[in-house]
Amino acid sequence: MAWIVKNSAAAQIDRRDQPYLDQDLKTHIETDVLPRYPTKRAALLPILHAVQHKHNWIPYQALEEVADFLDIAPAEVADTATFYEDFWLQPKGKYLIMICQSITCELMGQVNLLEKVKAKLGISVGQTTTDDRFTLMTAECLGSCDTAPVALVNESLHEKLTPENFDRILDSLS
Amino acid sequence: MKWSFLPPEDGDRRYLAVNADEAEPGTFKDRMLIDFDPHILLEGIAICMHACRIDTAYIYIRGEYHAQAKTLQRAVDEAYEYNVFGKDSFLGKINSLAPHCYIHRGAGAYVCGEETALLESLEGKRGWPRIKPPFPAIAGAFARPTIINNVETIAMVGPIVQHGPDWFKSMGTQRPEDAPPTVPASFGPKLFGVSGHVNRPGVYEDELGIKLSTLIETHCGGMRNGKKFKAAIPGGIAMGILGTDQYDAVLDFDVGKKYNCLGLGTAGVIVMDQDTDMVAVTRNIIRFLAHESCGQCTPCREGTTWMYKTLSRIEAGDGTSKDLDLLLELAGSMGAMPGTTICGLADGANWAVRTILNKFRPDFEARVRKHRYVSLSTAGVR
Repeated sequence: MAWIVKNSAAAQIDRRDQPYLDQDLKTHIETDVLPRYPTKRAALLPILHAVQHKHNWIPYQALEEVADFLDIAPAEVADTATFYEDFWLQPKGKYLIMICQSITCELMGQVNLLEKVKAKLGISVGQTTTDDRFTLMTAECLGSCDTAPVALVNESLHEKLTPENFDRILDSLS
Repeated sequence: MKWSFLPPEDGDRRYLAVNADEAEPGTFKDRMLIDFDPHILLEGIAICMHACRIDTAYIYIRGEYHAQAKTLQRAVDEAYEYNVFGKDSFLGKINSLAPHCYIHRGAGAYVCGEETALLESLEGKRGWPRIKPPFPAIAGAFARPTIINNVETIAMVGPIVQHGPDWFKSMGTQRPEDAPPTVPASFGPKLFGVSGHVNRPGVYEDELGIKLSTLIETHCGGMRNGKKFKAAIPGGIAMGILGTDQYDAVLDFDVGKKYNCLGLGTAGVIVMDQDTDMVAVTRNIIRFLAHESCGQCTPCREGTTWMYKTLSRIEAGDGTSKDLDLLLELAGSMGAMPGTTICGLADGANWAVRTILNKFRPDFEARVRKHRYVSLSTAGVR
């Protein structure tokens, strides 16, 4: 739920010396992203996507760096970043498994599939395996209802799943 | 057409935003269009930009469509290569503008499919719908006049320009002569995305005004496992439901008034067979809307969550018959139509709960305990 906020008054931000928004990303943003938009803030979503693509998640230090880079307040960046569910503000596993739980997938057997995956990985929804390989999430409609049930593993969509064939897919991941 | 709302030119920029934030459960037609024919979309964009003298177009595609975003990016790159867009565009030679087309990826928020929320998201803010007016055609993206159309609409522009409006009007259903002006005409073809308990789910293009039974039996090969039809959602979960006796419903833009639901919506038809648990269906729909509510308006934020809790209680067998009336009362109080919220997300919850409860009341009655009135004296109080 996008609107649930956490008490962050006493939160400590983990920092490192090396910036997350490094020169490569900055050059990419300046040449490819910023010219597309009339305002700097509009580039925020593409920048956050780029940071997440590079580091697998978006640390708070990166949010501050992005705010600096775009000349807006860190709170404005956090405001946007916390609203969208695709942005991970805490570390996630190497493979993010998102099982669609919307109506067609539920009609076609998603509940059973999810239970089997939970049992296989030994985690419940929202958790990451101890070896940091898999993070299990449920997703709302992934837009592939004709091949329900479906799941997104990182960027690839797997369709017409049964517990058996999804088992094989998970086993094939390194 | 939305295009005619644009104010006269004042020399500054105007924008086109193409809505590819397709997140309504049951809807997958835009994904098909992008997967199989992205250039028909780009053709429509180019025509629209020329017709309305727009120089920048954004395609807002949802974050979960990774493969589709790549496909579309490749198609846009090709269009730049062949000078459809860019500073050497052949359109620019006619109208002296340099048209540009960019892809903007969303990040997993259903509400960004609402047109003003989409604009907020495009500006790098959280996707909160804006209060209208001003309408986007007057002050949209970056406070400039903006046209927002769905992928399917823009993709239809090319074929209409090529074949003419008469060709388009030769399909679909005419408005009856004696009908009041509130009854919309339903011209043209439509992509019906059928999913659920049918033998061959998929996207089928047919004329508007097709019967639901024809769609299921002719195109989708009938109900799966030979089961009986129980219910169907005509167009995305927010549109209410068609009951068991509405199997022959005519699917056109007037479907809402005729069959007591909200409308055709996205024409993403979800078919359910005789074994479907309608309480679970309602709970799933409301869970989705509670999860995706942006939290801006209280009736939607609190109402959907409240309804979700109530429905979960009914599903677990702990509900009472009072809960059903509570649901109806809650539903009737939320949405842009009762005038309590900014956007239509709560209307979806409102119509989904109301239509399912009204059309399948016995299913719910069977799951709840009868509320017993216990008088003080029988309880032992003197």
